[in-house]
Amino acid sequence: MSDNSITDAVFQHTARLSRLEIKPEEASIKDQLIEAAKYVKVLDELDTKDISPTFQVNHKNNVLRQDKIEPSLSQDLALSQAKKVSNGYFETAPTINKNK
Amino acid sequence: MTDLNKLTLFQARQGLKSKKFTAPELVQSCLNRIKSLDKKLNSFVTIVEENALKQAKTVDINLPLGGIPLAVKDNYLTKDIRTTASSKLLDNYIAQYDATTIDKLKKAGAIIIGKTNLDAWAHGSSTESSDYGPTLNPWNTQHLPGGSSGGSAAAIAADETIISVGSETAGSIRQPAAWCGVVGFKPTYGRVSRYGIIAMKSSTDSPGPICKSVDDAATLLGIMSGHDPLDATSIDEDPWKKPESRQNLNGLKIGLPLSYFPSQIQPEVKEAILKAAEIFKKFGAQIIELPDVLDPKYSIAVYTILQRSEVSSNLARFDGIRYGHDRSFFGTEAKRRIMLGTYSLSAGYYDAYYLKAQKVRTLICQDFDKQFQKVDAIIGPVSPTTALKVGASKGQAMFGELQDMLVEPSSIAGLPGISIPCGFDKIALPVSLQIIAPQRREDLVYQIAKLFEDNTDYHLQRPTL
Repeated sequence: MSDNSITDAVFQHTARLSRLEIKPEEASIKDQLIEAAKYVKVLDELDTKDISPTFQVNHKNNVLRQDKIEPSLSQDLALSQAKKVSNGYFETAPTINKNK
Repeated sequence: MTDLNKLTLFQARQGLKSKKFTAPELVQSCLNRIKSLDKKLNSFVTIVEENALKQAKTVDINLPLGGIPLAVKDNYLTKDIRTTASSKLLDNYIAQYDATTIDKLKKAGAIIIGKTNLDAWAHGSSTESSDYGPTLNPWNTQHLPGGSSGGSAAAIAADETIISVGSETAGSIRQPAAWCGVVGFKPTYGRVSRYGIIAMKSSTDSPGPICKSVDDAATLLGIMSGHDPLDATSIDEDPWKKPESRQNLNGLKIGLPLSYFPSQIQPEVKEAILKAAEIFKKFGAQIIELPDVLDPKYSIAVYTILQRSEVSSNLARFDGIRYGHDRSFFGTEAKRRIMLGTYSLSAGYYDAYYLKAQKVRTLICQDFDKQFQKVDAIIGPVSPTTALKVGASKGQAMFGELQDMLVEPSSIAGLPGISIPCGFDKIALPVSLQIIAPQRREDLVYQIAKLFEDNTDYHLQRPTL
């Protein structure tokens, strides 16, 4: 396993990737992250050189269905829990031209 | 009749059919119990009084669960009933559809009386991380009920309901069932649909029952199971059917993994499990010590990496746009898990963490395959200790993992397992035994558990409240 030193920069970057704001009172998360990362190093004791990964335990793959329209939620129902709705759509925060 | 809430599913069905009481009386009895106790225990996040009583008046009691009060872990989507996952982020979320399992349980006539408390997002083994406050253990309210399905297990132990459902990712059915002295049945991965259950660690999430007896749990599992086209990992099999029970265990080999008795195990737990093994031996089983089962410490590490990774991906959907509040409503525990998951999946670390863990998962599956060549089923403690004190999980980054160390290996391999009461410790807290079998061998799990229950009375003990 590679060196897992979780520096402030790595921590901030991970928070950004996670879309999370870590409050000052939650600063201990960083130490706990380091602790957990240290704990899992125990896996280095096991040789996995010729072992394939198991992503899923009942070995099903490429589960497909017929391309047929099935009954689904109505538009109104699908929108019913949204905070902001506009013309029958979910309204999101702008991601481009934010200042316009 | 009084105390209808104390009945098992089997007894309640008999009473309803023979008209000793009515479905509204049965539902009312559970609601009364909730009203008198739940301020103390906090098993429920939401109580569904009006609707439950209304449904009880018209339900067909000839259905398999007709008129039976059901408590549902609050991570199952329930149409028109609030579903919070015990997180304030979903405080106002009303599900627009039912989970497949809820649909099946409703069609079988079950009446939802409430949604039970859990560790927020099912992240934990204490129910202490719920944004709605901890649930307390009915056996001793200074102790935790376990988790994450702590509300369902406590509601069953306190007779606030007749049946309940929980979900297990790595211990979340078996461990709270053990700490609360009730029966928790975790099915083979894929046996019960995950559709409509708030996703946590999708590659091991397994919904299942928590009940007052092995038969009750097996009946519920039969109803909840079966192939679901809406869950791509659902097994292509008909619903599971409870097999005949056995009068003896002749010809059966039961394994006792020595590594499931770690040094920190509470002596009374060890003693109760070895006593249970003697009972199985008395009924004809051969008890075989398994000296070379992979140390559970590796499962703790695999689970820690994979759970966090899948959590970071699954919880990415909570953006406050389509439902719920925005991401600032995540509690510290969820943030901690999302952060570690994002870290282990991010560029430069993926191979060292996520991929390595998935490879060790292969070794864990292979290890079980090897052990199941020697034995038919495996028994051991569910948890190294009985219920710990309220506050025990605070500030402990690995609390859940350490409490669940003996159920994590079988969860990672997708195996079925059950937790059944098998004793009490010095301060009268329940001790429980787990029985694990190869994938799709719930029949064996049921038969061994049922024989134990038929010949002991631990499951009949109830806390004084």
